[in-house]
Amino acid sequence: MKRSADRRFIVGLLALGLIALVAAEGLGIDHALGQVVFVATYAIAGLGVILVVGQSGQISLGQGALLAIGAYAQTLLVLRGVPAIVAMPMAVALAAAGGWLASLPARRLGGLYFAMSTLAFALIVEELLARWESVTHGAAGVSVPAFALGGWTADSTLAQAIVSMLALGLAWGCCRRWVDSRVGRTWRAVREDEVAAASSGIDVARAKSRAFVIGGGLSGLSGALYAHWIGFVSPEQFGLLLSFELLMLAFIGGARRLGGALWGALVIVAIPQAIALGRDVLPAELARSAGLEAILFGLVIVAVILFRPQGITGRSARHDV
Amino acid sequence: MANENTPYGAEAASRPMQTFVQVLVSGIATGCIYGLVALSFVLIYKATETVSFMQGDLLMVGAFGVLALNVAGGWPLWLAVPAGVMGMFALGAALERSVLRRAIGQPHLTAVLLTFGLGMMLRGSVTTFPAASHSIHRLQFPYTDEPLRFGTLAVAAEHLVVIGMTALLAALLTLFFRRTRTGLALRACSENPQVASLMGVSVPAMHTLAWAMGAALAACAGLLLAPVTFVHLNMGLIALKAFPAAVLGGMTSLPGALVAGVFLGVAEALAGLMLPEGAKDIVPYALLMVALLLFPSGLAGGFAGMRR
Repeated sequence: MKRSADRRFIVGLLALGLIALVAAEGLGIDHALGQVVFVATYAIAGLGVILVVGQSGQISLGQGALLAIGAYAQTLLVLRGVPAIVAMPMAVALAAAGGWLASLPARRLGGLYFAMSTLAFALIVEELLARWESVTHGAAGVSVPAFALGGWTADSTLAQAIVSMLALGLAWGCCRRWVDSRVGRTWRAVREDEVAAASSGIDVARAKSRAFVIGGGLSGLSGALYAHWIGFVSPEQFGLLLSFELLMLAFIGGARRLGGALWGALVIVAIPQAIALGRDVLPAELARSAGLEAILFGLVIVAVILFRPQGITGRSARHDV
Repeated sequence: MANENTPYGAEAASRPMQTFVQVLVSGIATGCIYGLVALSFVLIYKATETVSFMQGDLLMVGAFGVLALNVAGGWPLWLAVPAGVMGMFALGAALERSVLRRAIGQPHLTAVLLTFGLGMMLRGSVTTFPAASHSIHRLQFPYTDEPLRFGTLAVAAEHLVVIGMTALLAALLTLFFRRTRTGLALRACSENPQVASLMGVSVPAMHTLAWAMGAALAACAGLLLAPVTFVHLNMGLIALKAFPAAVLGGMTSLPGALVAGVFLGVAEALAGLMLPEGAKDIVPYALLMVALLLFPSGLAGGFAGMRR
């Protein structure tokens, strides 16, 4: 199982390279590398969603807020002179703490009520970021310096692609270990049947918290990188839309497998690119409209749920790991 | 009590009582809209167990539909409004027949994403009309010009219309559920689909009806909201405040959703009056968190638990 999943990951990486090559032909090498950066960064956040949603079966409607915590922590620390590489573990830790906080209601609430509490958590975080102006500069946002390591600065897209692929590889390795370990088995037991898991001696509340802490940490890592790549953070970037985009990412790729994160990220990043490439063919009025992207996103998620409910990587319910 | 930061600050200092009443009325009116959207959400959830994240988009599409009939089509409002609501009724039914039917029996998250995806498509479709996406619009209702004055008290007519129409809709819904065979069938189907189908109720038809009514109710909320916030692409965001209302009402109680909506609207308005700026927008969610943690099965469930 593990080997086939890893093979799929390698196939995914090769596909990513191929798509990058095609995109490089069509859009220029720099642009294509830029897309690789975003696929890798989204995929890290997608791994977090997959641990929470696909592995432990919890609904999180507030993953975007955890990215926001990571991104803002990284930005504010770097602006205060902390080296980016030192700030990053702190940003990850803060986002993990945020994940723990978001998971606390799970001790009392189940299912839909818990989902609503994560939604409330995310909206409160977004509002706090917009209002705590003395620290976050409010809705106006903050500029983020480039990612620097010693004297070296990741200001070219190639350097950014290398950093984000390294981060993705690291996150992937950790997730693979967790999912294959006792921790992963408790998550899946909780997902399948909480009562049965509890009567087998699994601490259900702890398993859920752990998924949210790790998922939060991954979101924080993704958010910190994203802040560097975009060079600017504001509360509205991390709103409900991002949370849902990440859920869609996981569902499109296949929420139950780690490989789903990469495939989902590919699709999410490819949709606006496909529209950009198709711009010449489409009527000008339609192609320029922001509506087309929303329609296409909606169409993809609806089609995946209707025709391929296990996502791109999923085959049948029996192969879940 | 009045805080200098609030927009009402200066006025409140001179005429605290009038300001209080005005804020209360606008809070109740906003709360009625929350309540109506929550009502449409709960109606669908009860009948089909589908969590709909597209009520806000249905609300927006309904308002734009009437606007299009009125402005582009040249229909008078008395014709455009019923036509728009009926159109949304039909849209809800069509979406249920074609897509949403397949979400039944799936995990909640599947339904959430499916409805969110459909909502994105609806919003995207409206966005492709440049006239819709670039500006905010007015529906020329006859009552939007002058505030009503009672002595020194000035109350916006549109707020009173919202409250009155919500009461009317609630009364009509109560009549429908209590006095008609279809209403009874829909209730039976919500309580227990198996038994309902054994009694000869067509459960799929009831699902279609629930979605159609949910869409039409959302459109009504949109039309009532139109004079207050105007018609624009993001007016559907108000549905985000309807979720806390639906949850506070216990998710399965129609009167509970409406009452919780009004409660949240008033709480929000009072927070705007008394708390520092920005607190207003957090209040519904903070209240939701507190209520969820104190009464894990919703306020209605909490009360039911106490009665037992």
